[in-house]
Amino acid sequence: MEKGRLNGSIFNTLSKYSIYLVLVVLFLISWMANENFITPQNLKNVANQISVSTILAFGQTILVIAGMLDLSSGSVLALAGVLLVSTYVNTGSLILSFLVSIIVAVICNIISGFMITKFKTPPFIATLAMMTMARGAALLYTKGQNIYQIGDYVVFGQGETLGIPNPIIMLVITLAITAYILRHTVFGRSVYAIGGNEEAANASGIDVNKVKMKAYILNGIFVGIAGVIFMSRVNGGMPNGAQGYEFKALTATVIGGTSFTGGVGNAIGTVAGAFIVGFLDNIMVMVGVHSYLQQVVRGAIIALSVIYDIWAKSRKKGKKVQSA
Amino acid sequence: MKKAVSLLLVVLMLVTFVTGCSNNSGNEGKKDGKYRIAFIARAQADSFAAWLANSVMEEAAKYDDITLDVFDGQANDDTENALIESAIANKYDVIIIQPNNGEAQRPYAEKAVQAGIITITTNARIAGIEGSSSVDADPYMQAKVNCDLALELVPEGANVVVLNGPPGNFHADERRRAWEIEFFQKRPDVKIVGEEIANWNKDEAMNYMETWVQANDKIDAIISMNDNMAAGALEVVKDNPKYKDILAFGVDGTAEACLLIKEGLMTSTSLQSAYDLAEALLDTAHKLLTGEETEINIDIDCPLITKDNVDEYIEMHRRAGAIQ
Repeated sequence: MEKGRLNGSIFNTLSKYSIYLVLVVLFLISWMANENFITPQNLKNVANQISVSTILAFGQTILVIAGMLDLSSGSVLALAGVLLVSTYVNTGSLILSFLVSIIVAVICNIISGFMITKFKTPPFIATLAMMTMARGAALLYTKGQNIYQIGDYVVFGQGETLGIPNPIIMLVITLAITAYILRHTVFGRSVYAIGGNEEAANASGIDVNKVKMKAYILNGIFVGIAGVIFMSRVNGGMPNGAQGYEFKALTATVIGGTSFTGGVGNAIGTVAGAFIVGFLDNIMVMVGVHSYLQQVVRGAIIALSVIYDIWAKSRKKGKKVQSA
Repeated sequence: MKKAVSLLLVVLMLVTFVTGCSNNSGNEGKKDGKYRIAFIARAQADSFAAWLANSVMEEAAKYDDITLDVFDGQANDDTENALIESAIANKYDVIIIQPNNGEAQRPYAEKAVQAGIITITTNARIAGIEGSSSVDADPYMQAKVNCDLALELVPEGANVVVLNGPPGNFHADERRRAWEIEFFQKRPDVKIVGEEIANWNKDEAMNYMETWVQANDKIDAIISMNDNMAAGALEVVKDNPKYKDILAFGVDGTAEACLLIKEGLMTSTSLQSAYDLAEALLDTAHKLLTGEETEINIDIDCPLITKDNVDEYIEMHRRAGAIQ
């Protein structure tokens, strides 16, 4: 009896922190596989490389916890990004161009949110539509051509403040915001409640539509910020940039323990998920794993983490039934 | 609300239909004595394909007896094949096909020829279709002119990294094959310390280069199958004094590559001029339409661009508005 309880509590602790355990093990294996992995510059690179998709992943985390998702984030990033670069090239104003990026991304998300809350369109379809529209708009605006010669604007994505690359600083700030919102605000608790059981949340007096719309607006802000960093990092306005970033973001979210069935997840887990993917990509390139095999491994990791998530949940449920 | 939505949908379809019709010169045979050309672009999200589509439209405007409609294959074989079928059904006088995947479009191009429509394949040509014409740039030659220079410039025992385009893409594969035969087989002393598929993308190339820089003590040259990826790799090392002598080779002759060559950061690229392709395409179409010739197969030149002649090409991009 006592032993069973002990085993159970070890299992619970392990399952709670398993994602961090995986991260640590992966880190150690990578370190052993290639000594250059551990250099501060390489670790900085990985953090830099995952910054854009992780900032997008914070938006996804909030949405997925609430039982929704955003397939348009890569395309909206590109639209917001080319408009921001074009604003900067034409006006030279950093603040104005940042605002353009965030406002454009928020507007796109309000449209998605409107489709979802007002017309009860499934989030998958609504944001799929937005994905196509936003990419089309970005291509239309630029005639499919990249915008070059963006001048000092690159400093934002490529520069450092107190020795820390700016994208990493933005990553930390957005992490803090997401973690705070999810843990310490009424909105955050409502997000979990809606994802856990929408009808119950509604019955308990939560304005479900309002919370969903707010979640999309917040996602829009993150997408706008990610656009600022992405375009600066690649030193240009790229209408076809950030393709597939919505899936990178979703991958980090899911590996980080956010459940697609809603109601479960947190921002730190998402960062861990992003680092797992980042370290894995990094070490596979460092040791020269064939590109095709890399894709197979990446896919397998996603499949395993989802299988684990479902298995851990069913075990928990089983335990509850047993103890009852 | 339902009424409002259906009304909106009807209005949207009407607007699309009306603007579509005003762009088209009509769908039934030759109208107003003008020849109708359908240009089926590979994907307008691909910056080179977009450049070509824009150039083809500009070039068509110079002909009084031609109207041209552009269709977007969206980098999808199915979509592209459907567009070819519709163009046949719409009885265009000429169908220009920029294949997404030559073999997948081959039967549809053959159908167009059988329907008695003048069929031109371009970038890349679909070879061996009896009765069709083609205008192309030879991807093997585009890489080879760079290889010839690399044979001279790449130092003895050099470490190089290779950035590839999407596997299965004709231009990606042919350019890589040229590097293999014309450079690597002739220079067994050169070591490839990293090779990845960056899918023509700048951001993906950047991430790989960041990792390679950490994993290797020295990298002497970046060998890239297009300019966009070469520019991404250079973005990583451009301010690093250790890499001030790094060589970088690309293909396409984009505005960005020309500026990088001018700055002394990039070594060479070969021009795949969308302007030249467009000019040759319309000229070919016109000659075939007026019966001046019955079959034309031509290749445009792929001049090598280096520091010595880059000004000429910067001027070309400036005239086209790609450089301010």
